[in-house]
This record gives sequence, structure tokens and C-alpha cells, in this order.
Amino acid sequence: MTPGDMAERPAAAAPADAPWQGELDELAQRRAHARALGGAAAVDKHHQQGRLTIRERIDGVVDAGSFREVGQLTGAGKYDARGRLAGVTPAPYVMGLAKIDGRPVAIGGEDFTVRGGTSWSGDRKKGGQGGFVEDLAHQYRIPLVNLIDGAGGSVTSITRRGHAVFPGVHGFERSVQLMSEVPVVCAVLGTAAGGPAGRAILSHWSVMVRDTSHVFAAGPPVVERSLGQKVSKEELGGPDIAVAQAGTIDNVAASEAECFELIHRYLSYMPANVWQLPPRGATSDRVDRCEELLRTVVPENRRRPYDMRKVIRAVADHDSLFEIQPGFGKAVITCLARMNGYVVGFIANNPMVNGGAMDVKAARKQTHFIELCDCFHIPLVFLVDVPGFMVGKDAEAAATLREGMRSVYVGLQATVPIYTVVVRKCYGMAGMGTTDKNGLDFKIAWPSAEWGSLPIEGGVAAAFRREIEAAADPKAREAEIEAELRAVASPFRTAEAFGVEEIIDPRETRPVLCSFIEAAQGRLATSVGPKPKYGVRP
Amino acid sequence: MAMTQLKADVTGSVWKIVTSAGQALQPGDTVMILESMKMEIPVIAEDGGTLVELHVAEGQAVSEGQVLAVVRE
Repeated sequence: MTPGDMAERPAAAAPADAPWQGELDELAQRRAHARALGGAAAVDKHHQQGRLTIRERIDGVVDAGSFREVGQLTGAGKYDARGRLAGVTPAPYVMGLAKIDGRPVAIGGEDFTVRGGTSWSGDRKKGGQGGFVEDLAHQYRIPLVNLIDGAGGSVTSITRRGHAVFPGVHGFERSVQLMSEVPVVCAVLGTAAGGPAGRAILSHWSVMVRDTSHVFAAGPPVVERSLGQKVSKEELGGPDIAVAQAGTIDNVAASEAECFELIHRYLSYMPANVWQLPPRGATSDRVDRCEELLRTVVPENRRRPYDMRKVIRAVADHDSLFEIQPGFGKAVITCLARMNGYVVGFIANNPMVNGGAMDVKAARKQTHFIELCDCFHIPLVFLVDVPGFMVGKDAEAAATLREGMRSVYVGLQATVPIYTVVVRKCYGMAGMGTTDKNGLDFKIAWPSAEWGSLPIEGGVAAAFRREIEAAADPKAREAEIEAELRAVASPFRTAEAFGVEEIIDPRETRPVLCSFIEAAQGRLATSVGPKPKYGVRP
Repeated sequence: MAMTQLKADVTGSVWKIVTSAGQALQPGDTVMILESMKMEIPVIAEDGGTLVELHVAEGQAVSEGQVLAVVRE
């Protein structure tokens, strides 16, 4: 470009009564290019696959009119021979500041209609892994919402750049840092492999959409090349694998619209950052509501299971439950909920699965949920009916003991108040992991409660082996010893020794918990901030 | 007519089969009871229908995810 060209500005000179009109027109033109994403044809194709564009997604998540885009003009401009703008291919990432339920969030996502949402190299990265949107969440201490729809790196970048990129350059360190600072939500809204798939996992809560979302370390072509396995995207990374079997992603939504609703709902339980408490919600539910169901829900026959979700619903504020990982590790139920408007986390054993015994998946689920609640100052309520860790060859091979102890370890490191309600069984190390040894250690039991190092029926044969073998009728002797032990196992005897702090009528569970949770608010408010964890998880 | 597979949620054994093939089921009816961790775990036909196939017998060991029965809605 010669100095002569410089004198002739690409935009036409503005009339005197409309200064800068040419520049404003160009801005409007550039904004129009940004809004057009990858062009009408690419957008149509995307829609035909049952997926929304990134701009529609952001509009679907945030409060109407609240999106303040940042980096809208970023992209690759095309110019004619005279240097005038002919068009812009937008950078394949859209992001900015917005509000969800009136509260600020940083939000962004890949634009699949531009080069499949693959990374783009400008002066500064917009988002994806790290980038401006994650800096925004960090600096402003506001939640980050990632709407992921990108397939990760491509080997073609070698020819484009002239060198191979070292993995993980710039970005993931910020993503990791955010995990101890602000709520991070990741929604997988397309096929996520490699970096974007990894990004989805670095979140406090993740969600994917049935039929249109898949997540894996590598997709079917790479799997076939590496292992000779022919698998479909659905078999490899659909929700049946990623959510139900692996617990890689927490929840599944039936549609993108439902996914956006779930994001709203999840964030309603979260503070903006770890320096604040979660917002107290309004409730019309009476604190002294005592449900009759709680008196009869536990069968007198110890072999009969019951529906623990009914217990949670009867205790928590009406319509306040949000179940995390409902399809994974089903031996334990983890729910965000409210008690008299205060956010709490319920961890309840599910006697319908393994009789409530903690298997490796349930242990992983419990570990994650304890850390989530501890990080955001959410008190925990355990509803306990656990006979112990899952036993058997499969359970041992799956490392139940290690994952189970990891869960116990994380529970003992947590500093939020923990309330333990023993509904029925509380045995062994899995039972120990439901109590608050760092705080008040306040255990409330129902009259149906029973506890010990291990269930009596399991322990008699081992502990009294010689005596049983020596008896004339070993079977009868075993039953006799069981009956003798059970007679002194009444929870009331433990209460006499103040070994359990209170035994209540099950109907009183809600009012009792509400009183202590309200009283704990002062402690919670004076112990906010990040919670560094030292040591080595077993 | 949708066929629904009833699968074992738990590893254990078949304690009691309380229905037979061909039987009509109301939503929520118990088809069989598994025993796992000394607990009786009912296997329930959530939506009801007709029990068309039973794949297991009493006393048989079952593992998580195993198909126990098929119900036609």
C-alpha cells in the first residue's frame, strides 16, 4: 500500500452533517457478517441436523437482551483490490457477558458452521480452552457457561502453521484455576472429541443432549485405525455410554431447549463465586411440615427396600430437587435442593440398588458431589441406609475399596456442615463416610436405624466360627447368637451412651434439619473463599 | 407394540419369580424379586403390558445389566 492509497480511505468521505457515517456503516456491515455465522447454507445444514446455531443457543440460555458480545468483529476479512471490505469469515467462537436470572455470567461456544468450530489463531484467543471468556469469568468472579460444539484439533494445522503445536499450549491452566473459583457449566451440544471433550470434563456440572451430542477422547475413525473396532458415534459416546455407564457427563437432556432449562436450574443453586454464599430461594413450604409418609416408608422387614427419593421429597422444600447424575452410580442419590430456602446437598443411599451398598460408581459420584458442595459452601445432608462397601470379586476388581476410601477421605476433608440422618443401616467404612468428623459430628437417627462395624448377619459366622462349628446344631446356634446380638443392637441403647446424638420421630426430620441449617448460616457466611486441598487423595 | 427389556439393576440372584409368561401386568407390578446384599430387590414393569419372555429361573445368579424378562406394552 502506498501513501497515496492511504489518503483515499476505503470508506467514502462522510457528508459534513453525518461525521463518521462511512465508518459506522462499515461497523454495521461487519456486524452483519458476524451474525451470518458460516453463511446461510452452513446454517441450514446445521439446523437440518437438529442443532441450533451458537447465537440461537446463547439467546436460548441467557435473559432476553442481556448478551453483550465481545470480539464480534474477530475473523478473517476479505478485501477487494482497492482495500475495501468484501466480506468476513467470523472466528468460529462467539462469546461475551450476559445475565441468567438477573445474575452476570461469562458465556461462549464454538460456531460449528465455521470450519466445524475448530480453533482459530488471532492475536488473542476468544474461548474454548482458556481465552477471553474464561479470563472474564476469572477476573469478574462470575460463572462460566461453555456451549461446546467443536471437534478439537486437526492435523491440517501443521501445514497451516508450518510446525506442530505442543499439546495444551495456553488455556487449560485457566480452566483448571476456575474450578476452585466460580461455577463452571459445560454443555456438550454436538460431537466433542479431543480438547473440547476434555474441556467439558473440567466443569462442576456437565450436560449433553440425547441424539445430537457425543463425547469421546477420539471418534470412530481414530478408533477403527487404532484398534480395528468399528463403532458408531452413538455406541462410542452417546449418553448411554457417557452419562449412564461412564458418568463422564453428569446429566442428559432430551433437547437443546431442555438443556438450557437445566443450565438455568443448576446455576440457581450456585453462588456467583466461592467468595459468596448460594442465593437463598423463596419458599412457601412450611418448616414444620411433618409428612406422615416418613413414619411408614421404611418396611419393618429388613430385607425389603423402599423408595429413598420419596424420603428426600418429603424432607426438602417442595419442587426444590435437582438430581445430579441420576443415571449413574445409582446405589447413591445426589440432589441439590433447598431447606427453608437455603441451598443444601442431599446424599442418600438407594436400597433398591445393591441394597444401598457403595460400589465403585456410587463412590465416584459421592466424592464428586461432596467436593462440589464443599467448594460452594453448601451444607450436606446424608440420608443413610448403607450396609457397607459393595462386596464380591467384581467389586474388588473394580477398586471399590480404593474409590470408597477416596470418598471417605474427601468427606473428612470437607468443612461445610454435614448432617447425618440414619434412616436404616449404617455400617462399616461406608457408614463412617457419612458423618462430619470435622464439625459437630451430629448424627440424627430414626428408630429404624441400626449400625455397627458390619451387619450382624454377616459377622456372626466369622466371629463365632469355632463356637458354631462345635455346637450340636450349628445352624440353630448361629441363629441364637444372631438373636442375642440383635437384642442389644437397639439404637436406643446407643442413644443412652450418647453414641448417637438424637433419635427422632421420622416425621420430625424436616423441622429438625431446617433449624440446624438456618443456625449454620453464620458459620457459612464467615468461612467463604477458596478451599485449597492439601495432601494426596488415596 | 413396544417390547421392553427388564434388566437387572444389581448383581445377585433370582430369589422368587412371581409372574409367568403370558401374564398381563399393571403398571408398577412386580415381575420377580432378586436377592442382592441380603435384600429383596423387586424387578418392576414400570409401564405394564404383557410378560412375553422370562430369561431366568429361580436361584440363578444374575449380573448387573442382564436381561431378565421381556414385556410387550
